[in-house]
Amino acid sequence: MATAIEIKGVTSDKTLEVCARLIIVGYFREMMAHKAGASEGVDIKFVHNMRVAARRLRAAMDNFVDCFEAKPFKRYYKQVRTITRTMGAVRDLDVLIARFERERNALSAARENTEEQSGIQRLIQHLQYERENARKPMLTLFAELDNSDFETQFLTFFKTSE
Amino acid sequence: MTKPQKIVGINPKQSFHDNARILLPQKVAEVYSWEHFIRDPEKREANNSEILHNMRISVKRLRYTMEFFSVNYDIHFTEYIDTIIELQDILGDIHDNDVVLETLTAYKNSYQSTDMLGIDTLITRTRETRNAEYESFLKRWEHLTTTGFKQKLLDIIAS
Repeated sequence: MATAIEIKGVTSDKTLEVCARLIIVGYFREMMAHKAGASEGVDIKFVHNMRVAARRLRAAMDNFVDCFEAKPFKRYYKQVRTITRTMGAVRDLDVLIARFERERNALSAARENTEEQSGIQRLIQHLQYERENARKPMLTLFAELDNSDFETQFLTFFKTSE
Repeated sequence: MTKPQKIVGINPKQSFHDNARILLPQKVAEVYSWEHFIRDPEKREANNSEILHNMRISVKRLRYTMEFFSVNYDIHFTEYIDTIIELQDILGDIHDNDVVLETLTAYKNSYQSTDMLGIDTLITRTRETRNAEYESFLKRWEHLTTTGFKQKLLDIIAS
């Protein structure tokens, strides 16, 4: 699993509000840094890393909700929740496909039961088809984020004046 | 997914460290709110996937929150984060196997063909692995309970 990133500027003696802004902005940037790779869809680590960063971001927003004006905060929170869920649908299928590929390869390496290998291969193809379908809402969401200038608005709202 | 419990009592204008002492115990309490199923023999026997999933989510929230606040504590705090990560990993493995079983069963029911060789084998193997992981989780939890993990964690949070 992706490890926590180091958030510069967070110290014990600063106020919660200042630290909350730094943490939220830090994980937002981390999440968005994986967007291009996730969009490309070649290496599954990008979807994984983007989803983990989105989950950490959500956890931060859940914890620090009282530091922010409620109405705009809620709007940004909902967007992050949508990102997490959309990424989750793709990631779950990536995990399943990788798992069944390992099972199939283990049978193949042991030169065991080719009929069983074929059965698992058909399942993998079925999941790959589902994955392509799950990627469509993700790509639509990414396009919406780009067109709505979400990134700039989010960072403007959460950035610290420090 | 279960919603996170509402955090109360924090003060945005107080120091990050002061708020850590208020916020983190609430996250610990959220994790332990699922403990009843381990203590109740009937529920423990039921081996409920949904409860384990909810507990995993609460453990994950605690882990992330501990990581956010780790700057407030000394190096020993990291050892507690590692234990929480270990719990998250065990619960994650159980959940992965539950998802695999769900997927395989749905696939088998949707495609009533004779070409299900391999799928039945996978279902059997996955169920065995999943149940072994559940036993391993119960043992780990029991060990943490007998060694007073929760109180030690709350003590370090309060420091």
